[in-house]
Amino acid sequence: MTNLSVHDLTKTYGEGNLAVAAVRHVDLDIDPGEVVLIMGPSGSGKTTLLLMLGAMLRPTSGTINVDGVELATAAERSLPPLRAEHFGFVFQDFNLLSALSALENVELACNLAGIHGHAARQRATELLTRLGLGERLRFRPDQLSGGEKQRVAVARALANNATIILADEPTANLDSAHGRDIARLLRQLATDDGRSVIIVSHDDRLREIADRILWLEDGTFRELAAMVTDPVCGMSVETTSTYRHDIDERSWWFCSPHCRDEFIANTAAFVPTRIAPIVSTKEDAHGEDPVRRHTRH
Amino acid sequence: MIGRVPLARRALFQDRRRAALAAGGVAAALLLVLMLQGVFDGAMHQVTAYLRANPADVIVSQRDVRTMHMSASALDPATVKNVAAVDGVAWAEGIRYTTTFLVGADGNQQLSYVIGYDTTTGRGGPQHLTAGRAPRGDEIDIEQVAADRLGLHVGDTVSVFGDRFRVSGLFRGGTSVVNSIAFITTDDFAARRGPAIAYILVGAKPGVSAGELQHRLAGALPDLTVQTRSQFTSEEATLVRDMSADLMRIMSIVGLLIALAVIGLTLFTLTLSKLREHAIVKALGGRTRRLAAVVLAQAAWSVGVAVVTATVLAVALGAIVERVNPAITIVIEPGSVERIALAALVIGAIGAVIPLRRVVAVDPASAFRRAS
Repeated sequence: MTNLSVHDLTKTYGEGNLAVAAVRHVDLDIDPGEVVLIMGPSGSGKTTLLLMLGAMLRPTSGTINVDGVELATAAERSLPPLRAEHFGFVFQDFNLLSALSALENVELACNLAGIHGHAARQRATELLTRLGLGERLRFRPDQLSGGEKQRVAVARALANNATIILADEPTANLDSAHGRDIARLLRQLATDDGRSVIIVSHDDRLREIADRILWLEDGTFRELAAMVTDPVCGMSVETTSTYRHDIDERSWWFCSPHCRDEFIANTAAFVPTRIAPIVSTKEDAHGEDPVRRHTRH
Repeated sequence: MIGRVPLARRALFQDRRRAALAAGGVAAALLLVLMLQGVFDGAMHQVTAYLRANPADVIVSQRDVRTMHMSASALDPATVKNVAAVDGVAWAEGIRYTTTFLVGADGNQQLSYVIGYDTTTGRGGPQHLTAGRAPRGDEIDIEQVAADRLGLHVGDTVSVFGDRFRVSGLFRGGTSVVNSIAFITTDDFAARRGPAIAYILVGAKPGVSAGELQHRLAGALPDLTVQTRSQFTSEEATLVRDMSADLMRIMSIVGLLIALAVIGLTLFTLTLSKLREHAIVKALGGRTRRLAAVVLAQAAWSVGVAVVTATVLAVALGAIVERVNPAITIVIEPGSVERIALAALVIGAIGAVIPLRRVVAVDPASAFRRAS
């Protein structure tokens, strides 16, 4: 049984000659307890896809089924309660309400999900305590660190006991330690609670916690078999990229000529510490060929 | 909204300086209106002071004369007996009345009602004597504030009708910025202005209401105007109010427009600064009506704080002004506060219209755009 099932999903902006297909014929099934990482270059349609999955944008065609509810054809007025009941959102900029304390931010999400008064306060307190913020309940966002803010945001995403967590670049504004911390937390939500976690991100660190990695480009999912990491900027790039450099029978690919030139000019700075793993030749931590895992959609 | 996070209040008072400026701005505008209303209510209070303290249940006057202010009523003294003969009348007392100047020793003048009354019954005479006693021949009782203004004390002399009167007593109540009240004996009045009486004060027998007595008198004396004291007072107040209505209306509109501008601007800037947060709430599943309620609640809070602040300031300022200048009485009536509060709520709602439209139009998807 899937938590979320997407079939032939398409979103086109504009009409006629001006029509631009942001997402094209996407199919996707996500199981309970699964973490799916969606990656891709800027403008590839990641955010559009996320907005459609989160019932904030109507698809042009296709279906989105969440816990048995069809989002694509749901009445406009039913979308806010659907969001409040079925989804938990984690944003890149944390998006906490600045006037409210950590407790109130989570409590507000409880209110939106129909939990009020003492019950809401108790649930918010429990969630924040579970995420290690029991001593920060009365703190406002400007009094919290980036990692703490994102933990509050995660607690807020859990306030409605959602089956699906949609996370948009959840680690982008965090340092590496806090980024790993949040990544582990998201993994834990899937493993321990059986929630489906969908993450849209450029952050390679999140590969470690993902059950599946999907590469979205030009609005469609592509094979990840030939993806490598640009050693300079860390972006994922295809091995068909024209920006390539060979050293001692080893090849390096880059997202742009700028990265390639920087690499050539200062190879020593990148090679010892940032060896770009060629995905197709590396077994991941699960002992499974990532190429096969990444294309399992 | 019991049991819900007070989002409206938290957001409104998050920036305390902005909240204080907003509430202060609206309060200042409302204070302007409230003080103006208070000055006029105070003047009204003084103009009707004599009537309110009068023992009469019913007042009889010349046909079609319904007020003392800006009016002249002349009745045959024999009419008093006719009135007294009507069933239900306990007593009837004629008073003489005109408007003239009191002239102090140094030539200072004070416009004043001068009333001639029967000092043996005391009906229609001064209430609340603060010094001296009731007047006798060639004596006069004048109001304390007017006496201060003219530099008079008990025992001094003042010129009225071109004759000298000795100040025999002082009382409190009845002096406004432009007018005052003074009492002489009815015989002194008749000697100088003729025998006609102006009004007949009538008391009802026990068990007879003022309305019933008015009805009986009006039936028995159809050529006269018969009003209960409260009707007479109301007519007097209406006349004075009508004379200043246009000015009041203009000043009130100006004040309320300023309040509208402040509320509208405050809510608009607050809403603009919180648009992203509104989008977040929508993304999390908040309905548009909940966000609309937030904006309206912020308008209500702004108005509420401003009304309370303006009322407290008006009462305090009124007390200060009265202390500095006793001739100016500022009365903050609960009815005035209610009207101002109601008007402020209306303008608060109007001021919230544009912010509401912005909130309604907020796209929840914008929560996913990067903060700038």
